[in-house]
Amino acid sequence: VQDCHVLRYISKEESGGKTAKLLVGGKNVSPFFKPESAHQIFKEAGVPCKQKVSTFNVTDDAIIKPGTPLYAAHFRPGQFVDVTAKTIGKGFQGVMKRWGFKGQPASHGQTKTHRRPGAISTNKASKVYRGKKMPGKMGNIYRTSFGLKVWRINTIHDIIYVNGSVPGHTNCLVKVRDSKLPTCKEYNKNPPFPTFFADGDEKLPEDLFDEEIFKFTDPSVTYT
Amino acid sequence: ASGDGKPAKFQPPPKPVIIDKQKQRAERRFLSPEFIPPRGRTDPLKYYMERKDMIQRRKVFNIPEFYVGNVLAVTTADPYANNKSNRFVGICIQRGGKGLGATFVLRNVIEDQGVEVCYELYSPRIQAIEVLKLEKRLDDNLMYLRDALPEYSTFDVNMKPVSHLDHEEIPVNKLQVRMKPKPWSKRWERPKYNIKGIKFELPESKMKEAQKWSQPWLEFDMLREYDTSKIEEKIWKEVSEGLKK
Repeated sequence: VQDCHVLRYISKEESGGKTAKLLVGGKNVSPFFKPESAHQIFKEAGVPCKQKVSTFNVTDDAIIKPGTPLYAAHFRPGQFVDVTAKTIGKGFQGVMKRWGFKGQPASHGQTKTHRRPGAISTNKASKVYRGKKMPGKMGNIYRTSFGLKVWRINTIHDIIYVNGSVPGHTNCLVKVRDSKLPTCKEYNKNPPFPTFFADGDEKLPEDLFDEEIFKFTDPSVTYT
Repeated sequence: ASGDGKPAKFQPPPKPVIIDKQKQRAERRFLSPEFIPPRGRTDPLKYYMERKDMIQRRKVFNIPEFYVGNVLAVTTADPYANNKSNRFVGICIQRGGKGLGATFVLRNVIEDQGVEVCYELYSPRIQAIEVLKLEKRLDDNLMYLRDALPEYSTFDVNMKPVSHLDHEEIPVNKLQVRMKPKPWSKRWERPKYNIKGIKFELPESKMKEAQKWSQPWLEFDMLREYDTSKIEEKIWKEVSEGLKK
């Protein structure tokens, strides 16, 4: 988590959605490479220019004042989390890599046809349906992986250790949200609400672990 | 005295050289190869966090200094074994991986069947690692033992640990291994593997043909250079301070 700040509060009526929204900005970048129109939001909040701004749907009792920093301790070990990011861009790819088609055999008389899609529609349809799987640009789109468990949180360097894999290349910007899966609702019951405030009273230890994980200070595992 | 007539210049006696054995002992330092980060574009913060975890684990559980080619005995926790623990003795043929995922492969021949087991150094299931024989071999990777005669990979399971003095250099075993007849799993005579520990009994023509695949420009390729001396210094300081605490 690198320098996240809350930028603006948009009420339910203003945005026209079902819940209120909070705009949150990510990593700090230099203001010289941003257009002047983008500078205004950051000036109002009193915060340096951010590389990425994203919206979070928030209930009314969880509204935070614009300008407050957000830390990794906002999440606790044992919670479940959805992670969204832009996938690695693979460029223009053929149908076998992009959609997993089987292609054609390598030998036995195949003339110049080994990785082609083959037939694209039936005779009766007499047209190609919209959304037909065909070669094209693959990757570099936003995708979410759902229901990832948080195993460990480092409060000093603001690192969240999450189960499984996450979309995107190394060092890419990622949006982390409480999970919306119905099976994970009971695990997300006791978060620090509305968020973890650094200048508050509670002092957290450097590393927060889940109960089931092996801490390196424990001796080796033995079965009985 | 010289036959010059002039008095000889006073030559002071040569100073005695004192070899301090304690200083010699401190000079040899061994940094496990999995601490050195690979070349890449990852954030060094990731390697720093991994090193902290590795130092934590090493404080609790002693991982001795070992090299490819020496004999180790590893006890792991096994829920399905009788004593809930499993002991395996073997020669280390390769050390791979960096950071917490560092592995080493042990090979032994048990009842005429070659067995190789890959262990992770920092796995919480490992309960003890003992070095039975500390020695180096001519190569970094002893995978060719799979195609060598089985006598070179057999080690007694109840072998007694061979004692090794702290200040001595690690002995290099210049053993030349004899191989089974070809075909081998890999063409070990090719210069790509750069193996010095095999006694090749192949005809000269085969050895010459293998040299066709040599790439003599590789050692001069500047883009492949990765100088780790400064990185090693820093990491050595970090690790030794971490372990002392």
